[in-house]
Amino acid sequence: MNTNIIEMQSVVKSFTGKLALNRLDFSLASGKIVGLLGRNGAGKSTLMECVLGLRGIQAGTIALCGDDPNALSQATRGRLGYVPQQTDLFGWMTAPQMLSFFKAFYPVWNDNKTNALLDRWSISRTTLISRLSGGEKQRLAIIRALAHEPDVLILDEPVASLDPAGRRDFLRELVDSVIARNATVLFSTHILTDLERVAVDVAMMKSGKILLQAELDTLSAEAVRLTGTEPSLKKLQAYLLTNLVVHGVTATAVARIPAAEQAQLRVQHPEITIEHMSLEDFFIEVTA
Amino acid sequence: MSPPPPSQNAPPVLFTVTPQAGVPIYMQLVEQITRMVAGGRLAAGEALPSVRDVAHALVINPMTVSKAYSLLETQGVLARQRGLGMVVALHQPQRLLKSERLNLLRPVLQRAAEEAAQLEIDRDTAVRLFDKILRDKK
Repeated sequence: MNTNIIEMQSVVKSFTGKLALNRLDFSLASGKIVGLLGRNGAGKSTLMECVLGLRGIQAGTIALCGDDPNALSQATRGRLGYVPQQTDLFGWMTAPQMLSFFKAFYPVWNDNKTNALLDRWSISRTTLISRLSGGEKQRLAIIRALAHEPDVLILDEPVASLDPAGRRDFLRELVDSVIARNATVLFSTHILTDLERVAVDVAMMKSGKILLQAELDTLSAEAVRLTGTEPSLKKLQAYLLTNLVVHGVTATAVARIPAAEQAQLRVQHPEITIEHMSLEDFFIEVTA
Repeated sequence: MSPPPPSQNAPPVLFTVTPQAGVPIYMQLVEQITRMVAGGRLAAGEALPSVRDVAHALVINPMTVSKAYSLLETQGVLARQRGLGMVVALHQPQRLLKSERLNLLRPVLQRAAEEAAQLEIDRDTAVRLFDKILRDKK
């Protein structure tokens, strides 16, 4: 099926006069793993919260699995897993108490999975959640989100409080169980290496809009920095994603050029240097 | 090395990937496997680790591994064999000529050259370093 899991059209959301989503269009096809990138304040969390119906919008339309986010069907709810950026709820419970509380809401609940993950991620079963560290709380939120085997996962900076080993282990869980069963995943992150490992597509956000959405491998081959004289770079204006930065006689800019055209341009414009960029450098410059 | 029995696929840790290298991960795999086959580190008929095992070991999306394997299959480097998954093709497209093997090495060196320029390392020093690395390998 080629139905879109998420479909957002011209969505506007503002908080006391500040536009968080500015006529934003975004769609997420079934089975895609999309990394959502954006600087702080770009609107990533707001996008996710609006999709899930946790926040109302002022204009535009949103469909999540075909449902209006404000009236999600039972079936859609059962398919969703969400890890918010921060979870400070249920501090008075222990991890197993919290999990069994949530279990009651879902027709499917994988106890083996939750127990195995509690063990693997060394989360105490007797300590109150309020006493767990930030990283442990985040891991627990991930366990809760995976327990009912959702096929749509929305993860808001799911690894922000994890150390590199913890991040790696979470990504492995994602690779082994979630991606393997063809789930659709939208996750926001600012850690590019994580994104590159597991995402297939990337969406870059800036000022409440989706700046670009592309296949990661394609984008990584197309992201280049051009260096040359100002007039020569202006000839390639159509490819440029940033303004020219001029230092004396040389100018530089970031561009997106299809791999096949790069070789051709190198021949046509020998005076311009075309260098590949890491996605991180690319991201930083185009969202500046 | 004798041809391995079906259950003994080459270990997934055979490969390494470096995110943020400016080269897509599937291309890193394609380049590595091509080099290993050309250099004889992966023998004809040898089974490659399963997509799942590589994805698990390297913590990368299984689709990325499939993409690399499929590309190598269309290039004739790998062949799909029932029950074994991917194996190194018995008849390589042709034994790679030295010039072709050099072409495989070129992109890696090109990237090294770009980095050397960024680090303002002069040509002689960079060449000496590469020479030393080659000697240390022996």
